[in-house]
Amino acid sequence: MSVAAHLPRPARGLGRGFLVALALGYLALFLLLPFGVVFAQALSRGLATYLHALTEPMARSAISLTLTVAAIAVPLNLVFGVVAAWTVTKYDFRGKSALITLIDLPFAVSPVISGLIYVLLFGAHGWFGEWLAAHDVKVIFAVPGIVLATVFVTFPFVARELIPVMQAQGRDEEETALSLGATGWQTFRRVTLPNIRWGLLYGVLLCNARAMGEFGAVSVVSGHIRGLTNTMPLHVEILYNEYNATAAFAVASLLAMLAIVTLAARAALEARAPELKRTGRTTGGHE
Amino acid sequence: MSIAVHSINKRFGEFVALRDVSLEVPTGQLVAILGPSGCGKTTLLRIIAGLDSPDTGRVFLQGREATELPVQQRRVGFVFQHYALFRHMTVFDNVAFGLCVRPRRERPSAAAIRAKVEELLALVQLESAATRHPMHLSGGQRQRVALARALAVEPQLLLLDEPFGALDTQVRQELRRWLRRLHDALHFTSLFVTHDQNEALEVADAVIVMNGGRIEQRGAPEEVYDAPASGFVHRFVGSSQDLPARRTAGLLYVGPMAPVPSAGTDGEVSVVVRPQDVQVNRAGEGWPGVVGAVRVVGPLVHMEIALEGHNGDPLVAEFERERYRADPFLTGQTVCVTLRRYRTYPTDPVG
Repeated sequence: MSVAAHLPRPARGLGRGFLVALALGYLALFLLLPFGVVFAQALSRGLATYLHALTEPMARSAISLTLTVAAIAVPLNLVFGVVAAWTVTKYDFRGKSALITLIDLPFAVSPVISGLIYVLLFGAHGWFGEWLAAHDVKVIFAVPGIVLATVFVTFPFVARELIPVMQAQGRDEEETALSLGATGWQTFRRVTLPNIRWGLLYGVLLCNARAMGEFGAVSVVSGHIRGLTNTMPLHVEILYNEYNATAAFAVASLLAMLAIVTLAARAALEARAPELKRTGRTTGGHE
Repeated sequence: MSIAVHSINKRFGEFVALRDVSLEVPTGQLVAILGPSGCGKTTLLRIIAGLDSPDTGRVFLQGREATELPVQQRRVGFVFQHYALFRHMTVFDNVAFGLCVRPRRERPSAAAIRAKVEELLALVQLESAATRHPMHLSGGQRQRVALARALAVEPQLLLLDEPFGALDTQVRQELRRWLRRLHDALHFTSLFVTHDQNEALEVADAVIVMNGGRIEQRGAPEEVYDAPASGFVHRFVGSSQDLPARRTAGLLYVGPMAPVPSAGTDGEVSVVVRPQDVQVNRAGEGWPGVVGAVRVVGPLVHMEIALEGHNGDPLVAEFERERYRADPFLTGQTVCVTLRRYRTYPTDPVG
């Protein structure tokens, strides 16, 4: 008798229909419904109010700060991620497993703690607080603090995405390139980079989504100064606390659209590069 | 390009990969490094290529010290076991890679690169595959692309790591003969690593047998086969089997066989004998035994004999099939075994 005969058959009829309905219903209730509410609320007072909420000066300032922070944090973590993944997969050295574990630290720590770390280091009563004050450098309650907190929270994304891809590919192609006379940079650009490009793009996408959406860590270091240190997620919260729900949802709808774009790009990437599905999948942090 | 390696040691953590390895390969030879997996042969090859560096010891290429020379400057072609073709490039771009990455001053013109690549693809009989990607090629074709790519930079020395290890027997035999012809035609020095004794014996000018990070023997293929320097070499190169024996006062006692004079220290020794050197008689002198399984292996016949009072595996005797057919033995028949040729080694050798 074959083993297959002992396996339960796929549920049919009533049972199968019930399970599918349950899964879809759950998804609708907890994901799609809130998503729809965001857009419904945002547009509840008409398109003009919606557009005004997005173009008034405080909103514009929040949007531009979020874009600025992402424009600094994402390239930094792109470089760091590639270097870390390269180091971990192409070299053997002491402390390698410790490095791999440390890369995951921001995923393991609550974002609030991530923010507090920087307050403790650079705040008025922090370790470097006096020195910074004496040299008139503002980190906490200023843009540098927001950038630092965002960089910290988002640094695992690119590295996490690349390490499994690069591990699977091994070192042979790079070593061949070197033996054929290529320099280290030529080897990276002509051999490594083309092999990891889809994974890299995907990591950058996730990193960007998180950089723009980060709330907890940024909230601790920002000080919520309107027009100066408010990012989009913080701006949404302030508006909401002021009972300005329409404006809050209008700004939130931008973040929701970012999520949709990220998911669509991800689907497109996975269709393009099936190896992304096979290798280890990154899980997000808190929020 | 000649190779000389002096007293190389290499460890990976606790694992000792190479112990005091020295060797020389004169220009123009095709040399095989033969050994079981984990014997250090690939590490040795990588150190000669410059992909790994030795803990101690020195490497000389063409008489010049190259121990610290980066891999890019050694002018060696290295072919990996799994070919390591650049998967995102066409066959053409793979072969052209070594020429395209040269500094602008030394780089040939685009037309010259094209001509060179086409010449190499013709040499490996892959002209029609130029625009294909590696994933659409067979194993043998990939191997030939890897060779063409290594040859494009005109290396003085070709290093091949298990070059035919991942191929079907048939393709493998074809390719190794082809490699031998290529080597003779292009006059470079080649060193290849293999665990396949047939490959080493058939293709190479000289064979280096390694075990446990050491070189056990270096010699011409017949020399390694006919006069193994150690029990390990005897057992690893060609098939062989062990019989327990004892040497007392210059006489060797193998089971109940008549003692024969034998030089060496007294005590337990291993007698190593190849199947074709086992003489099977229907009666008379020798070690009595009972015929067991008989198998026809192509042109040969392998016959197992359970020796009386011997607890180990049955002894295998090899016959030519035609000769065996003319005068076969029956399973269960009692026979007497003598040894036409054998060698003795100290029991329980290192490794």
